[in-house]
Amino acid sequence: MATSAIVTNRSLDNTYIEDFSADYASDALRLFIANFQQLQDSQVLDIGPVCGDNINFLAQQVKRIYVCDMFTRLDRDKRKGLQSGRVWRHLDYPAETFDGILLWDLCDRLDDREVGRLVDLCHTMIKQGGILMLSALGEQVKDVTQPVINCFVIKDDFRLYLRPQPHLHLPLYGRQNRDVLSMLAPFRPVKSFTCRNGVREFLFRRD
Amino acid sequence: MRKIKSMKNDTSPPSVMDSMEEKTIIGENISIMGDVQGEEDLLIEGSVKGKINLEKHHLTVGSKGQVEAEIQAENVTISGRLVGNINAMGKVEIMKEADFNGEIKAKRISVEDGAYLKAVIELERGPQKKTEPAIRLSDHTVSKPDKEPFSPAGETEKRK
Repeated sequence: MATSAIVTNRSLDNTYIEDFSADYASDALRLFIANFQQLQDSQVLDIGPVCGDNINFLAQQVKRIYVCDMFTRLDRDKRKGLQSGRVWRHLDYPAETFDGILLWDLCDRLDDREVGRLVDLCHTMIKQGGILMLSALGEQVKDVTQPVINCFVIKDDFRLYLRPQPHLHLPLYGRQNRDVLSMLAPFRPVKSFTCRNGVREFLFRRD
Repeated sequence: MRKIKSMKNDTSPPSVMDSMEEKTIIGENISIMGDVQGEEDLLIEGSVKGKINLEKHHLTVGSKGQVEAEIQAENVTISGRLVGNINAMGKVEIMKEADFNGEIKAKRISVEDGAYLKAVIELERGPQKKTEPAIRLSDHTVSKPDKEPFSPAGETEKRK
């Protein structure tokens, strides 16, 4: 069973935000997109915060882009006092719908049980051979509490800019790579990167 | 329903009558169930359930608008609540206060960050630039969870 450490009781560290907002080239995203270029009817689900740049970018790369911002939905459910597990009602897509799913850093905002539910759902929704991309924040997150949630904004040449979403408040769970890989066990890990700003990127495939 | 004349383009000379475009407003106290078809722009601040066909015109769902409809229009702007599918010849604009659930087929789209969406989006795609992956997915695998993950050599890469 994977373990995670929830980060608590520290005020937001500005240095962290400055360091963290640096843009970086995402080879994982480049590989993720390249995977769909042979497909005529590719369908990709993006569950990151709603971002016009990303929708426009992805809509030019794949046939159909599905947008369902789970960060906002988690935040809304939390404010309403709903049980965290209820949020998955929004991911009610038929089995084997997607060729790819962009999870971004959603797992960092979920405890182990909810990550398990999300992974099971993704495994159902993604087609055989489909690719799952996720990011995990760097080690520095262990020093900060409630660090601001970022949207990974896609710009030219697969560079990602981190745009803070200060209206969203979700806990942060720091995890080591082995825990991430363990929780994504239903998928086959195919590639991973560690960026200089500490962001770790993973690609998984459903066999 | 109110009908107003609005300037299509603020920079146009006021003497040019062609620049005046008629727009119908469905006010916030109006509810319509059924099909709406028209030859001018429409702003909905009330409630509409049915089909909306404004093939060559602009539909706006205002911030107080509540629409459940299949929509065909030239351009669509959403600030309120819309459930349904949009087929736009031109552009769909989704403002940050919008709540949209449905499918969008359009030439272009703009979405303000923070909009509440559950959407399927299909845009007219330009010629595809082929993305050359730096590494093929099938060439590598990452460390297994029981191994020491992320060794600098091997499958995991450190990149800027």
